Amino acid sequence: MLKIEGLTVSYGPRRVLHNISLEINSGEVLALIGPNGAGKSTLVRAVSGVIPAENGSICRNDLNRPSVDLISLSPMQRARSLAVVPQAGSMPPAFTVWETVLMGRTPHLNFLGQVSAKDEVIARLALQKVDALDLSERRVGELSGGEWQRVLLARALAQSTPILLLDEPTSNLDLHYQVSFMETLSSLTRQDNLAVLVALHDLNLAARYADRVALLVDGEIKAKGTPGQVLTQELISTAYHLPVQVIPHPFADVPLVLPGKK
Amino acid sequence: MFRKSIFALLILLLLAACGPTRTSTPVKVTTEPAATVIPSATFTTTRSTTSITLTDGLNRTVTLASPVQRVVSLAPSNTEILFGIGAGAQVVGRDESSDYPAEALSLPTSGGYSGFNLEAIVALHPDLVLVGGINTPEMVASLEKLGLTVYFLPNPATLEEMYTNLETVGTLTGHTAEATALEDSLKVRVATVDEKILPISYRPTVYYELDATDPTKPYTTGPGSFVDLLIARAGGLNIGAQLKGEWAQISLEQLVVANPAIIILGDAAYGETPEKVAQRPGWGTLTAIQTGQVFPFDDNLVSRPGPRLVDGLEALAKLLHPGVFK
Amino acid sequence: MKIRPYLYTLLFLIVAVFLSIAIGSVFIPPAELGRILIGWLKGAAFSEPLKTFAFILTDIRLPRTALVLLTGAALGGSGAAYQGLFRNPLADPYLIGVASGAGLGAVLAMSVKWPYSFWGLMAVPGAAFICALLTVFLVYSLARVGKTVPTTNLILAGVAFGSFATALTTYLMLRSTGELHRAIAWLNGGASQAGWGPVLTVLPYLAIGLGILLLSGHALNLMQFGDDQAQQMGLPVMRARTLILLAASLATAAAVSFSGVIGFIGLIVPHVMRLWFGADYRRLLPLSLIGGAGALLLADVIARSVMSPQELPVGIVTALVGAPFFLWVLRRAKNQGYW
Repeated sequence: MLKIEGLTVSYGPRRVLHNISLEINSGEVLALIGPNGAGKSTLVRAVSGVIPAENGSICRNDLNRPSVDLISLSPMQRARSLAVVPQAGSMPPAFTVWETVLMGRTPHLNFLGQVSAKDEVIARLALQKVDALDLSERRVGELSGGEWQRVLLARALAQSTPILLLDEPTSNLDLHYQVSFMETLSSLTRQDNLAVLVALHDLNLAARYADRVALLVDGEIKAKGTPGQVLTQELISTAYHLPVQVIPHPFADVPLVLPGKK
Repeated sequence: MFRKSIFALLILLLLAACGPTRTSTPVKVTTEPAATVIPSATFTTTRSTTSITLTDGLNRTVTLASPVQRVVSLAPSNTEILFGIGAGAQVVGRDESSDYPAEALSLPTSGGYSGFNLEAIVALHPDLVLVGGINTPEMVASLEKLGLTVYFLPNPATLEEMYTNLETVGTLTGHTAEATALEDSLKVRVATVDEKILPISYRPTVYYELDATDPTKPYTTGPGSFVDLLIARAGGLNIGAQLKGEWAQISLEQLVVANPAIIILGDAAYGETPEKVAQRPGWGTLTAIQTGQVFPFDDNLVSRPGPRLVDGLEALAKLLHPGVFK
Repeated sequence: MKIRPYLYTLLFLIVAVFLSIAIGSVFIPPAELGRILIGWLKGAAFSEPLKTFAFILTDIRLPRTALVLLTGAALGGSGAAYQGLFRNPLADPYLIGVASGAGLGAVLAMSVKWPYSFWGLMAVPGAAFICALLTVFLVYSLARVGKTVPTTNLILAGVAFGSFATALTTYLMLRSTGELHRAIAWLNGGASQAGWGPVLTVLPYLAIGLGILLLSGHALNLMQFGDDQAQQMGLPVMRARTLILLAASLATAAAVSFSGVIGFIGLIVPHVMRLWFGADYRRLLPLSLIGGAGALLLADVIARSVMSPQELPVGIVTALVGAPFFLWVLRRAKNQGYW
C-alpha cells in the first residue's frame, strides 16, 4: 500500500501542495477529485518523483517488509514500485503498440533495454488485460484516444508495480471509453491487488468506480473517505463554487452529483 | 544487436587501417632526394654537383644532392619565376592559376584555389614541390608526409626580397647564372624607372581598385602591399596608403574627398571597364572620370611576386607619367 | 532481431569504402588494382607503375577513406542522437553551436602565424575542437534552469550563441583577408590533410563519443514520450540527457575539427534510416552511424572526381546531392507516421 504523509510541494516561492496525507490500500481505488488548478496533476507528478518534494514522505508499505520511502530512491528504483498512466496527450507516432508496452518493462531491464522472453510474456499479458492485444502491430499514431489510453494502461501494468497512479485518464475519452476504461481499471485493481490513485475530473465516475475519494482544493485535502462521505452537497458546492444537488444513484449504491439548484 | 554492428564496424575499420600501411615518416626536417647521388665523374653537364642546403620561408632546412629536374609549382608566381630563369623544361606540373607564360598552360594541373589533388601531384613524381604564400601549412605538411621534397618560397615584401627568391629558385634548379642575369636585367629596368621619376615633382594621386562588387564600398590596395610599393616607385601617391590592411575598404565618400587623378582598374579581369565605372552612381563627380583617366590593368602584373613585377612597375609608370615613358 | 537493416547498410558502407579507395584523380586500372591487392597478400614489393599506384592507395586514399568514414559516422550518429534528444526532426549535430564554435576557433587560430611544427599544425584543429566543446558547455550552462536543462532552452541558447559565434567568425575573416580563402575552404569542409595523423588524433574521441551513443538507444526511445513519462518509467532523464549530449557533441567536435563543417549528413541520414527501418533508436543509432559513414564517403568520391583534378568542397556535394535524394525517399515512403 501507499502512504503519503505531510507532502509539501512548491513551484519556486509558490506553494502548490500543503501537507498532503493519503493512504491507499492494496486492492483499492482512491479517486482524487477537485477543481481545476487544485493540484491533482501536481500531486500525481510529485508522487511519481517528477517534481521534487519539499517536505514529507511517500512510503510503500508491503506486508512483512520494512516500509520504503520512495523519495530516497533513484528513478529506476522508484519505477519498480509505482507506475504512472499519463493523460493520452502527444505521442511519438512511429512506435508500435508492442514496442510502447515493452518500454514499460524498463525498470526490470538493463540499461540497453534488452528484452527477454519473460518480459514479452508480461507485456502480452498486460495487453490482454486491457483487451488491446489485437492492436499490437499498429502504430501509435493510428490509434484513437480510447485505444491509446488503454495502451498506456497496459504499459503501466507491464511495469509490474504494486502501485498505480493515473492522471485524469478519462479526460479525452467519450462516454463509452470512459466507462470501459474505469471498469477495466477497477477489476484489475482487485485482480492484481494494486493500490491505485486516480485523479479524476468527473465526480460521478469517481463515485461509481472508486472505493475511496479524496477532495483536493487549493493544494489541500479538504476531505477523504467513501464516496458517500466526500460527495456531499456542502463539500462539493464549496469546493467547486457551484450549487449542486446530491441524490442517491438510481441503480448503484453511490451518490449522484447534479449541478444546479432544485 | 548493436554489438554485432559495432563488431562489424570495427572489422571494417581494421581492414581499412591495417591495409599494408607504409609507415609514413613523421615531419622530417631534412628531406631525402628522390634521385640517387650521381658521382661527379659521370657528370657531363655544367651543373653543379655539390649538395644544396637551404632554409625556406617556414624555417625548414631543405637539402638536395643536386639541382632538381622535376618541379611541381603550386603558385602562379613560382611558375613565372621558374620559366623566367630558364628552368621551364624542368617544370612538370602547375596549379590551375598558373597561366603565364603560355608554355605553362600545356602542363598538367593539380588543383588550385579550392584544393589541391595530392594524388595528381604524387603521380607526377616530382623531386621538388615549390609552394608559396598562397599555399597553406597543412598543404606543406601533407606533401611532406607523402615523402615529397617541399620548398616554401616566402612572399617578398620588397623588390630585393623578390630578387632573393629568384636566386633561391636558381640554386634549386641549377640555373644560378640565368637567375643572376635575370636579376641584373630587372635591376637595370627598375633603375631606369627610378632615374626618370627622380626629377619629376608631380606625383599623381592614384586609386587602384581591387574589387567593386559594392561600388559604394570598394576595395583598394592598402599600405604595405606590393601594389602600394610599386605605385610609389612609379611616381604616384596611393590614396589607399592612409587606410588599414592590405585589402582596404574605402567608402565612396572618402574616394570623392581624395579625388584621385588616376583610377586603375585592377579588377579589369572581372569585367570592369572605364565605361562601366563612369556609370556608377555618384562616381561621375570624380575628376579621373571626367578627364578620362580610368585605365584597365592586368592585376597579375602586380600581384604575383615574380619577375613580372617589374613589368607591372613599368606599366604603372607609363600610366602615371605618360610623358616620360613612351 | 532483424538483421536485414544492418546487412543492407553495411553492404552500402562496404561499397562506398571500395569506391573511395578505387576512385581518385589518378586512374588506377582495375587490373592493376587487382595486382596490387594480390601483391599485398603475398607481401611482395612493387616496381613501377604499380609502386606509385600502391603508394597512392596506402598513403593518400586509405587514410582519407578512414578519416571520411569516421567523420561520416560521427555526423550520422550524432544527428540521430540530437534528433532523439530534442524530439525535433530539424535537429542536426550543429544545433547547439558545435559548428559555429569550431569555426570560430579555427578562424581565430588561422589569424596567428604558428611556427611550422607538429604543434603549430595542430593549432587549427585543436582550437576548433576546444572552441566547439566550450560552446556546448556555455550553451548548456546558459540553458540550465535550476537542476533541469529544458530542451527548448538548449535550442534557443544554441541558436543565439551560434549566430553570435558565426558573426564573430565572419568579422575575423574580413579583418584578416590574407587567410580568407583558407578559412572558407575549412568552413566548407573537406579532408585535406594527408596521412594517418588526423585519423589517429580523432579516433579516441570518436570511440568514446560514438561508443556512448550506441549504448543510448533505449534511453532515447524512452525520451520520445517526454521527460515526465521517461522518468516515470525509470530513466534518470537529466543524467541521460547530459551524457548523450556530451557524447554527441564530443564526436561532432572531433569530426569537425579536421574535416570542417559538413552539413546535411547529420540531418538527412537519420531521417532516411528512420523512413526505411523504423524509429527504434537502438537500431537507428548504429544504422545512422554506418549510413552516415557510407553517405559521406560517396559524397567525397563525387567531390573528388566530378571536376578532377580540382576538388569540390564536400559540404557542397552533400547539400546538392543529399537534399534531392532525401526528398525522393520521402515521397516514396509509404507510412506516414514515420517520425
